[in-house]
Amino acid sequence: MKILMLTWEFPPRIVGGVARHCFGLAQALAQRGHEIYVITLEFPGAPAYEDMDGVKVYRAAIELGHPNFLTWVLLFNHFMEKLAARLCHKVKPDVIHAHDWLVSPSAISLKQYLNTPLILTVHSTEVGRAQGLHGPDSFTIDGFEWWATYEARRVIVTSEAMKNEVAGHFNLSRDKIETIPNAVDFERFEVSVDRQMIRRKYIAPHEKMVLFTGRLTPQKGVEYLIQAVPLILKRNPEAKIVIVGEGWLRDGLQNLARSIRCQDKVFFTGFLSERDLEEIMVSSDVLVVPSIYEPFGIVALEGMAAGAPVVASRTGGLAEVIEHGQTGILVYPRDPESIAWGVSQVLSNQNYAQQLVKNSKDKLRKNFGWNAVAEKTIKLYEEVLKG
Amino acid sequence: MDPHEHPSGFAVPEEFNLLCMLFNIGVIKPEKSLTTKEISERIRMEVSAIESFLPKLIQEGYIMVSKTDFTDKYYVTPEGIRKVLSIYS
Repeated sequence: MKILMLTWEFPPRIVGGVARHCFGLAQALAQRGHEIYVITLEFPGAPAYEDMDGVKVYRAAIELGHPNFLTWVLLFNHFMEKLAARLCHKVKPDVIHAHDWLVSPSAISLKQYLNTPLILTVHSTEVGRAQGLHGPDSFTIDGFEWWATYEARRVIVTSEAMKNEVAGHFNLSRDKIETIPNAVDFERFEVSVDRQMIRRKYIAPHEKMVLFTGRLTPQKGVEYLIQAVPLILKRNPEAKIVIVGEGWLRDGLQNLARSIRCQDKVFFTGFLSERDLEEIMVSSDVLVVPSIYEPFGIVALEGMAAGAPVVASRTGGLAEVIEHGQTGILVYPRDPESIAWGVSQVLSNQNYAQQLVKNSKDKLRKNFGWNAVAEKTIKLYEEVLKG
Repeated sequence: MDPHEHPSGFAVPEEFNLLCMLFNIGVIKPEKSLTTKEISERIRMEVSAIESFLPKLIQEGYIMVSKTDFTDKYYVTPEGIRKVLSIYS
C-alpha cells in the first residue's frame, strides 16, 4: 500500500506527541513493506528529502510568510500541497493520512485532486486544548477541525475519551471514529546509562528526582505541580522537581516557583534532545503527568517504558492508560494536594513503586507497542479501500 | 480580556508575540535574517518596541544576531522555533 502522510511535526521538528506518533507509525508501517511518503515542514538543519528507516520524508520550504498565525497556516499548507502534488505525479497514493487540523487545508485539496480517501487522526481539539473557544482564532481553528472530520472517510482518535469528545463536539457518527491508542518504542528506553551521573546533572546526591516532561502550556497543568511542591517537601524533604520542556508559560511558571519560595527545589532544564530525554526518564524516581487536558498522554507510556513510576491526572486518555494502584497512580486534576499525595505514595514506598513499574511494563508490552498500532491502522486503511 | 492574557489567567509574555511573528514570516535561518527596520515594516510593530523585546529573546537563546558590516540582523533559532510551536501545538 502507498500511504501519503501529512503532518506539520516530524522529527527533528518535535514539539509534542504528534511528531513521535507520526514517526513511530510511519516506521512501523514501512517495516511491514508499505510505502510511506511523509510531507512535513522544513526545520533548520534537516534536509529537504531523506529516507528515515524506510520512510521517505519530504520537507516543504515555506517560501512566503505572514505575521498572522492563521494566514501563515494557509500559506504553509499551500507549499505542502505543491510539494505533495509534484510527488503524486510520480506516485499515486492509495490513502492520504493527515494528522490534526493544521494540515487539513492541504489534505482536503489533495483528497479531491487525487480522488483518494482521506483518513484523519485527531490528536486533540481546540475546544479541549484551550478549555473552551475564547476568541475568533479559536472559533476558526474549531471550524477547520470540524471541516476536516467532515471530509475524512474515517477519523482516528487515540482514546475513548477523545472518541466521546470528537463525536459530541463535531456531531460526528461514532461509527466513523476508530480508537487506535498511541504506542511507545520500548527499545528507546532500554538504554544503558550511568544513572548516578545523569542524576548529578540535575539534583544533589541525596535528592529524589520528581520529573515532569512536556510542553510548558496551561494544558499540561505544570502550575499545579509547582503549587504542590511545598506539600511534597513536607512529606518528602529530599524531593526535587525537574521540569523538562519548553513553552510560552516558562516565565510564568518560574515566577510562580519564586512566589511560593520553592525556586531552589524546581529546576527547569529547557528543551532536551531525545537521547537526554531517554536518559533522564530512566534516571528519575517518579514521573508526574499533571495535565488538565490530555487526549492520550504518550509521555505516560514513555515513563512506564523507562521504568519510572507514573503519577498522572485522572483525565482523558491518561485514565485509560493507567490502572490506578496497579500500573501507576491517578490523582485529581488541578489539585496540588492530590498530586503531592500521589508523589508521596511512590517516594515513600520503594516496594510499591517497583511493583507499579513491573505491572506497567507488562501492560505496555501487551497493549501499547507500535506493531499493534500499525496492524490496526492497516486494517482501517483496508476497510476504507474496500469502500 | 487583556490581549496578552491567556484564558488560563497566565499572561503571554509580550516578547513572545514578536517571536511568533518573526517565526510566521519565515525568519528562521541566517540567510533570512532581517534588521529591526525590516522587521518593523513586515510585522507593523514600532522599532522601539522590537528593540525593547529583542535583548531578552537573544539572552534566552530564541533569537540569534547575524552580524554584517553595516547592521545587525536577527533570526529565530531552533530553540525559538520550538518555543513558538508550543503555543500552536
